[in-house]
Amino acid sequence: MTSNFSGALQLTDLNDFIAPSQECIKPVEVKKSIPKKGLSKIKVSNDGSYMEVDTSGKSKKLQKAEITLNDCLACSGCVTSAETVLIAMQSKDEFYKVLKENKETSPEKRKIIVVSVSPQSRASIAAKHKLDVRKAGKAIDAFFKSLGADIVLDTTFAEEIALVKTAEEFIQRYRDNQSKKSLPVLTSSCPGWICYAEKTHGDLTLPYISSVKSPQQILGSLVKETVSSHVNKTPDNVYHVTVMPCYDKKLEASRQDFYDDIYSTRDVDLVLTSGEVEEMIAGECGTMDDLIVKVDAINNNASTDEPLSHGGGGSGGYLHHVYKHAAQQLFGVKVEEVVYKPARNNKDFRDVTLKDADGKILLNFASVYGFRSIQNLVQKMKRGRCNYHFVEVMACPSGCLNGGGQIKAPGGDRELQKDIFSSVQIAFNEIPPTEAREDSAVNQTIMDYDITKSKQLFHTQYHAVEKDETLSLNVKW
Amino acid sequence: MTPTLDCVASLNDHGDRVWDVKWNPKGTLLATCGTDKTIRIWGKEGDKWVCKSILQDGHQRTIRKVGWSPCGNKLASASFDATICIWDKSSGQFESAATLEGHENEVKAVAWSQSGEYLATCSRDKSVWIWSVDDEEDDFECAGVLTVHTQDVKDIAWHPFEPIVASASYDDTIKLFKEDDGEWLSFATLSGHSSTVWSVSWSKDGRRLVSGSDDKTIKVWQKYEPGNMEGIATKGETPTWKCVCTLSGYFNQPIYCVTWCHQTDMIAACSGDNSIIVFREDESSGDSDPIFSVVASTQQAHDQDVNAVSWNPTTPGLLASCSDDSCIKLWKIEIDG
Repeated sequence: MTSNFSGALQLTDLNDFIAPSQECIKPVEVKKSIPKKGLSKIKVSNDGSYMEVDTSGKSKKLQKAEITLNDCLACSGCVTSAETVLIAMQSKDEFYKVLKENKETSPEKRKIIVVSVSPQSRASIAAKHKLDVRKAGKAIDAFFKSLGADIVLDTTFAEEIALVKTAEEFIQRYRDNQSKKSLPVLTSSCPGWICYAEKTHGDLTLPYISSVKSPQQILGSLVKETVSSHVNKTPDNVYHVTVMPCYDKKLEASRQDFYDDIYSTRDVDLVLTSGEVEEMIAGECGTMDDLIVKVDAINNNASTDEPLSHGGGGSGGYLHHVYKHAAQQLFGVKVEEVVYKPARNNKDFRDVTLKDADGKILLNFASVYGFRSIQNLVQKMKRGRCNYHFVEVMACPSGCLNGGGQIKAPGGDRELQKDIFSSVQIAFNEIPPTEAREDSAVNQTIMDYDITKSKQLFHTQYHAVEKDETLSLNVKW
Repeated sequence: MTPTLDCVASLNDHGDRVWDVKWNPKGTLLATCGTDKTIRIWGKEGDKWVCKSILQDGHQRTIRKVGWSPCGNKLASASFDATICIWDKSSGQFESAATLEGHENEVKAVAWSQSGEYLATCSRDKSVWIWSVDDEEDDFECAGVLTVHTQDVKDIAWHPFEPIVASASYDDTIKLFKEDDGEWLSFATLSGHSSTVWSVSWSKDGRRLVSGSDDKTIKVWQKYEPGNMEGIATKGETPTWKCVCTLSGYFNQPIYCVTWCHQTDMIAACSGDNSIIVFREDESSGDSDPIFSVVASTQQAHDQDVNAVSWNPTTPGLLASCSDDSCIKLWKIEIDG
């Protein structure tokens, strides 16, 4: 069995497939009830549940201890069980269940269902069906609405906020760096990288990771904030689903940092991968052609807006935007084209440098994709040989368009997978990029909030996971 | 009655379990390591084998295996402290030149490719790492992280002349890796052992691989190219690897190490039953159904588990072994014909 998680996560023991009940070491909180007199026995009943039998012969069903995905993420133990827990909590079956419950509820009590689709997933589905990416976008929109979604969004809007906020943070930290070491800025949108950094290189890397939330979580905050107030409902009455190229995004959505204690709701309730949505389309519509017919029929109502796209490739374009912005802001240089220089033997480790007339390096940026490249970055930092100002870090080789949640070649055929990847790239590039910050809606959204609110909506924090050495004792050499 | 191995030296200095023993490429020095967290380098003075240097303070925990660079100037050590140390003796004395970090936990083996271009390491974290070596700067860059094994990876061995590496695992399989378009990937899985594969070693011509397992058997695997005369099915342009011989009934306990001598073609194997047995292919045996016979054996080679054996690469028939009994022994095997 191969895992869908990125390589970075697999190495952090996420792939052991130990069911939580068997070897989990997480202490479960037990609510103390009123002490009873006398001894009691525990019996296993016919259906496998545990029954407590007291001295009088009365039996009572015992509560089952449940380990949630959050327990797993906060623990440095097996973590392995995450997969099992995850499949149950973040699956298309769960989504169908919510949709069904919602339909059966009286209209005034229904939740608003919002689906946000990433541009990488749109490209994956477009490539799979050899569709124009705009048409694929409309098909996905129509598909979710036919299932019962009220609103279908494009995550590119949130991506733009993330770009603007990251550039802002970079300029600030570049200036701070004169007095105290605050560089490099390491990007934060890849959950595989964040999980790896927290678990294995906490002290070394966490201080440098950008505080800006990923596009998924920015949109998560905005949807719960704005949609709920717009329709005059509480955030827990908005159910937000994202469609991502990435399995690790399910873990990100499950983080405690993105949980609203007041309303007991997550900023993003459920994450579906491109591959899972493809399975849903196949299951519901039979073929894509049937869906296209439907799309054409309702085309009058569908949004005719051209989807947005940012330059700098299929992983959000962080380096591209921050580099151009910083060159302009800090040195008054207008960069027309960002030139990447790949490392020897590794096309996934690329440098971008800005030099002055004397050849002095002004900006030293890198894009670092894949676990192998992350390793080399981390080792550079460890040995004090990391001279970068900014690094765009993604856990998947070739970045997000090649994410673990994208539609895969059957049987894992390597050659076929390469072809699929290039058609996904072509589909993604069909939308001509616009420069971030030219979009006034984004600026308007950012301006709407004061510093405190802005921090809450667009920024987050990271937590090093303590290693528990006792866990490695039970091993055969 | 098969001849016994002739013990020519017994070296006892580690004072604790000795995990690995490896001759340098010239056959003049022997490196050993173990639970005492040190590496000892042994050399001959007159006709006595003496400990020439002790490399210490490189690791926090047990040193599981060592590997010489093909030039013989560097030694890599793999430790349970999750790191690999590179020791350099270009200046005369061994000095710690670099520490490689990245494995999540215990590193089980380390090996240099024949070209000196790569270093491979494997760990309990189930991964095999390929490092590219920049000799001038003493820089080791991660060139690949392979996570195809489902359990602890016990041993790794490079092909004698191609950039191919074999790994042996607690998941009972052997996997082969090569580089394709700048990316390392697994291209073959050898299944057949019914328990942990502890050790792998290549034949001189690189067409065969020998493996030793917890299932108490030794298996010899052979490569079949597409369109082979024997009619063994292959997929596309990838060769198939097939088990052509299983040696069973020779050991009562797990086989911890097998090593194929590139001078004499003899295979030495050692076990948890304290024995060492040396095999060689019968001259009359066929290519696809080879027969291996015992040419020498010693039941009580050591007082406890024998952890590793190593053939001297320049003196035919000289074998080194190490054991839980904290002893290192040198053996002489007389070769007839």
